[in-house]
Amino acid sequence: MDNEITLTFIAKSENEALARMVMSSFIAAIDPTIEELSEFKTVISEAVTNAIVHGYEEDGIGKIDIHASRLDREIIVSIVDYGRGIRDVLQAREPLFTTKPEEERSGMGFTIMESFSDDVDIYSIPDRGTTVTITKRFVPIQESVRIV
Amino acid sequence: MYHEVEKVGDEIIIIRLKGELDHHSTQEIRNEIVPMIKNGSIKVIVWNLKDLHFMDSSGIGLILGRMRELAPIDGQTIIVNPSETMKKIFTFAGLSPYIYNESEIEIMSKLGGIVYGQ
Repeated sequence: MDNEITLTFIAKSENEALARMVMSSFIAAIDPTIEELSEFKTVISEAVTNAIVHGYEEDGIGKIDIHASRLDREIIVSIVDYGRGIRDVLQAREPLFTTKPEEERSGMGFTIMESFSDDVDIYSIPDRGTTVTITKRFVPIQESVRIV
Repeated sequence: MYHEVEKVGDEIIIIRLKGELDHHSTQEIRNEIVPMIKNGSIKVIVWNLKDLHFMDSSGIGLILGRMRELAPIDGQTIIVNPSETMKKIFTFAGLSPYIYNESEIEIMSKLGGIVYGQ
């Protein structure tokens, strides 16, 4: 393992920005392209927001853990909550599906996570919590320089 | 986040989003914009994303929510200056027809014609 980090915070919406900032710094070592960095931040933001909003209803008490590891140019991030869980994971993954339309949640979170990463794995047990594990491979530096 | 909301005449508002738009910051801006639209006279919302450095799906919820409020009066939504990543996000949500490749000034001069029928 080249590097590894664990971050724990409570279910408050202001921590969404904090999680993005920490994870951006974590991948800075592999020198991602602007596009890769911005897609990665979006993926983190979606997963963390889900944990805060759906896992804990923003209760400011529940804990969220992020475990991130880097091996060469592959990043694996798990976003873990111990909240209410997802009853139907397949349904949750469907574009535009949301349990909170009244809060203007668009239902696009998992679609964005899937589009902007290489793999998204969801493991959830009702009333025990949800773990979303995201794998993203970044293009080699030489290749990205050639594209530019 | 320090967004700017500018009302042009009775019918147009320009919303210049700045910084980062996520679930947290969306709650603040929604509280500011919704009363302006519910006032009734607004027909066009221009979303200028030039100084927006980050947006997740909360941005889609925010824009779609306002489109729904404009729908009964057949209002118009215009999005300018999204980043490449934001363009992709809008495309996933079917919002790409509302992205215009023009500057805010160009859009505003065109809107003069549309809104006031000149």
